[in-house]
Amino acid sequence: MGENGQKQDIVTLTIDGREVTVPKGTTILQAAEAVGNRIPHYCYHPGLSAPAQCRLCLVEVEGAPKLAPSCITDVQDGQVVHTESASAKGMRQGVLEFYLANHPLDCPICDQSGECKLQDYVFEEGRKHGRSREPKRVFGRDDFGGDVLFYGDRCVMCTRCVRFMDEMAQDPRLTVVERGNRSIIDTFFEEGVEGAPYAGNIVDICPVGALVSKDFLHKARAWDLDHTPSVCPNCSQGCNIDLQTRDNLVQRLKPRPNLDVNQYWMCDYGRHRYEWMNRGDRIEAPLQRGAGGHEATDWPGVLEPIFTRMADGAAPVRALASPFASNEALAALVYLVQGLGGGEIVFRSPRADEEIPLPGFPKLTRRRDLVPNRRGAELLGLSRVGEEDGTGGLEELKDHSGTLIVLGDDLTDLESDFGAHASLYLYLGSHFPPAAAEADVVMPITTHAEEEGTFTNYEGRVQRFWPALQGPGAARPAWLPLSLLAAHLNGTTPPSGADEAFVRAGELAPEFQGLTYESIGTRGALVNEPVTLPGGKLRS
Amino acid sequence: MAYPYTHEREVRVLSRGFGEPATRTLEGWKTLGGYEGLTKALEVGRESVIEEVKASGLRGRGGAGFPTGVKWSFMPQEKRGPHYLLCNADESEPGTFKDRELMRWTPHQVIEGCLIAAYAIQAEHVYIYCRGEFFETNQVVARAVEEAYEAGLAGEDILGSGVSIDVTVHQGAGAYICGEETALMESLEGRRGLPRVKPPFPAAIGAFGKPSTINNVETLCAVPHIIAHGGEWYRQWGTEKSPGTKLFCVSGHVRRRGNFELPMGFPLEDLLYDVCGGFEEGRTLKAVIPGGSSVPFLDADDCAGCTLDYEGVIEKGSMLGCASVMVMDDRTNIVKQVRRTVDFFAHESCGQCTPCREGTTWLSRILLRIEKGKGTEEDLDTLVDLGKQMTGTTICVLSDSAAAPVISSIEKFRDDYLALIRRGEAVGAG
Amino acid sequence: MSETKKGPERASVPFRNPGWAGNTGEFDLSEAEVRGDEYVGSRPADGGHPSRAPSYPFMLEDKTPDAPLFEGPYRERYEKILSRYPDMRGALLPVLNLAQELRGHISQETMREVGALLGLSDAYVRGVTTFYTMYNKRPVGRFLIQVCTNVSCNLCGADDVLEAFLENTGTELGETSSDGLFTVMEVECLAACGFPTAVQINSRYYESIGAGDVPGLLEHLRDEGGD
Repeated sequence: MGENGQKQDIVTLTIDGREVTVPKGTTILQAAEAVGNRIPHYCYHPGLSAPAQCRLCLVEVEGAPKLAPSCITDVQDGQVVHTESASAKGMRQGVLEFYLANHPLDCPICDQSGECKLQDYVFEEGRKHGRSREPKRVFGRDDFGGDVLFYGDRCVMCTRCVRFMDEMAQDPRLTVVERGNRSIIDTFFEEGVEGAPYAGNIVDICPVGALVSKDFLHKARAWDLDHTPSVCPNCSQGCNIDLQTRDNLVQRLKPRPNLDVNQYWMCDYGRHRYEWMNRGDRIEAPLQRGAGGHEATDWPGVLEPIFTRMADGAAPVRALASPFASNEALAALVYLVQGLGGGEIVFRSPRADEEIPLPGFPKLTRRRDLVPNRRGAELLGLSRVGEEDGTGGLEELKDHSGTLIVLGDDLTDLESDFGAHASLYLYLGSHFPPAAAEADVVMPITTHAEEEGTFTNYEGRVQRFWPALQGPGAARPAWLPLSLLAAHLNGTTPPSGADEAFVRAGELAPEFQGLTYESIGTRGALVNEPVTLPGGKLRS
Repeated sequence: MAYPYTHEREVRVLSRGFGEPATRTLEGWKTLGGYEGLTKALEVGRESVIEEVKASGLRGRGGAGFPTGVKWSFMPQEKRGPHYLLCNADESEPGTFKDRELMRWTPHQVIEGCLIAAYAIQAEHVYIYCRGEFFETNQVVARAVEEAYEAGLAGEDILGSGVSIDVTVHQGAGAYICGEETALMESLEGRRGLPRVKPPFPAAIGAFGKPSTINNVETLCAVPHIIAHGGEWYRQWGTEKSPGTKLFCVSGHVRRRGNFELPMGFPLEDLLYDVCGGFEEGRTLKAVIPGGSSVPFLDADDCAGCTLDYEGVIEKGSMLGCASVMVMDDRTNIVKQVRRTVDFFAHESCGQCTPCREGTTWLSRILLRIEKGKGTEEDLDTLVDLGKQMTGTTICVLSDSAAAPVISSIEKFRDDYLALIRRGEAVGAG
Repeated sequence: MSETKKGPERASVPFRNPGWAGNTGEFDLSEAEVRGDEYVGSRPADGGHPSRAPSYPFMLEDKTPDAPLFEGPYRERYEKILSRYPDMRGALLPVLNLAQELRGHISQETMREVGALLGLSDAYVRGVTTFYTMYNKRPVGRFLIQVCTNVSCNLCGADDVLEAFLENTGTELGETSSDGLFTVMEVECLAACGFPTAVQINSRYYESIGAGDVPGLLEHLRDEGGD
């Protein structure tokens, strides 16, 4: 299709009085969404097939004898569609009434309350009073295994969950049993969805509170949660996530749509690993080692002495970084090590035996690298050492006698005499491990949930994450103290923010050149790929 | 011999072999002119076959009444893969029992019709989807298919024409909804029998994803006669828009129940009083359902002057459907029968679409309450409202079918409902 | 078995095989002639011509719940069924029918085995099995009695017939009698509306049944073991 598009490839139609132009093959539902008109629907989901069975998305099309299901009806040139006409609204109200006929009044005890599509639609367009005087059918609660609970009474039979397991997970463990009003979702008797690595997604796509997460059961109310766009740090796939928090604690992770990385999904491995972001026992203040052990002080209090020590000469320098650190932090570390005379920077990185793809979209795979930024570290010149389980590899570092800088690695496999021989041992981390006992200075840093920054995923996509939690005490993003030290050494100005810190990374690794926070946005950007900015300008 | 009742006004075209056990056999069928249609079809070629069926004006006998020749012409002319002909022998509409008779008395008529139709649409495989409950009947058809194979009338190189058509007798497993054309295809494919959204239509994507045509047993039974004698010949009976003969299945409170093959357009009152012998001593006509449970009621006034063709019944506010005439006399408890009908639909609903899944059960519960004397007048308004919400909003028309008797009976027999509501008295006992 | 019956009232017809269409006493056809028994003949164990393989299954009185799927002549029938469909999934319903013919009902284990044979997941087979009415999810009695109570039969006393069956077998609706002989169910229209009330017992239709015919019919089933 050329720049102006061929006439037969685009279609112009009228939706609720507004003219809409979309590519041929778009459905009325998608076209309406493009102009901000969200037609209510259940069974349709952009990542799955569309069975057109919930009958909620029916709209009036002038000239057609019956109402048309907008989720599967392709747009036609000159079509006139009414989604808010009396017949469309009346039909929706009717269908919603049918849903409510057997739906239990569980809102006060249902997790979905506040983010429930049935609540929302009925509140907007449903009947004010129910007409049913008949007893409701009861299915009860069924434990589907794994993290999934199923409240059959609440189910609206949209079959999104069945189709997800069938089409995306390609592990058809869910089915509809019986028929008619006795039909309900179930597994093969007691088999459940235990062990299915992507089963958590069915809880996401369930429009009501029928499928819920055991982990989140009765934990927090949807309207109390804050939402922050972020990136899952549990493997190098870099799924885009929505970090949901309350009371400065992460309550759950949900996938954020990104058609190039994870579509609408994330794996259970990543989804359920967030408790470590809530760990207490943090280092809250910079610590200076003195005669009686480590004493808390303030940032100038630890940085000034290091400035002095560095002036005296610090070579040789060795550093140990962590692939959980952001591109900005790693770049700042590289600058610092260079300024100190250069030296090897290594990192340890656990790797699983196998990767776990999502068969329906294999580009989404729980990768073998169980860390978010191995690629970023390698692009910046760091080397991986150690075993597949993320331990070992530090024989030379242990007895290093020059300057030793550790960024983020929590040294769990090392003794408290680690770094005892180093002339200057700096430890930057979020928790205080035994192996930091010999550190001259301990600096508290924020985790990725508490700072702004970027990771580089397995395929070289740089993705931004935003701070969802308030870091404790005086903790700061690691790139800040490291760049202050480097700037002091080189007589330059430190970066004024994470965005500048990222741009500086471009001077170290040509792959990052040309990328900015603006161009990365919320979708991410591949390294070395020309990026089109808003306005159509190309940057090479 | 007369089986079980015949009447001189009948025109026995399809039902000629009824009551004659010998007609089942290949030889017996041939004595009635069997397989002459197939032989002629192979001679004149498939385009002529389709033209002849179009000229006859034959309309689908499964209830929809769609012109058969036109339906066949929807199939792709250029063959890019397998085509399938599906014979819908999943007779489950309450009140209908004609296909079973056709299958067990004249199985070769069915098979011949299937073969001619398959030839016309370039299908190499015919699936006769038989209702699961029809164990014995299916065996008769199966044996007849075997005979056809043995005689070179099915399988490879039929009658030396070079055309090969396979026939498979497939047994269902008990679901009314599998009589719906796309649900039948789903069931044939080994899935839950859920009707599909149309478009795409079966002629484009049908059974196993290939172009398919589906026809009712009775429709296919008419085909050999049309080909053997010509489309014009078929038009000697019936009306302009509804030509030919039809097997009317009469059940209920008449003296003579059974299948009667009559010309389309036959007057309903003649059917009731003349052919079927009217009512028992002292009984009068209360209601008639002219086309199986899915169509609206006709009361005694409607029956006057009603002709039994597609247009005639529509004029009176109902539909001919599959011409299953269910007759109710004045001792009938209409509310109970409507409740039983809606129970049937609730039981058979596939459960895909919300209005049908929830609506049929809801309607059935309200009707049960009314039947037990615990209804209110508000319930009647609710029933009609729900019925309207169930009409025209679903993938298939089971939902509309469940609503039709409810809406029409409340309109025409409101007093029966009110008697139960106001006084707890049932009008009629059964 | 090919005696002609004429004239006498229904109640007094000796119950060899009562209640077939034609037993209204007004015309002369034997039961065998109506059912077509002679034409169909005896069923070859290996299923006969492949075209009839998917229609073959019967509801038998004798059931073997632990019979293997499939061996011997059943294996031949199974292979013939597979040959009639373009893919394995298409054979699912006939294969389930075949398994039910052997075992009498479709248990969890049966669903699993059939799924394994055809390459379908357990949950999928469960979904299909539970959709269709004729698959028995639990074991049933030697004779599965299914009484049509839909409108056409209802107008002509079907409720009384159902009552009579329940009373005379001493069971509840949907349950099996304590002697394991009878399970009584209510079913939808059997497509024999011209001969109310229609009752299906295993694979046979018994038509024109009145409440008064029931005791004799059950007696006959008990004595002759059916068929």
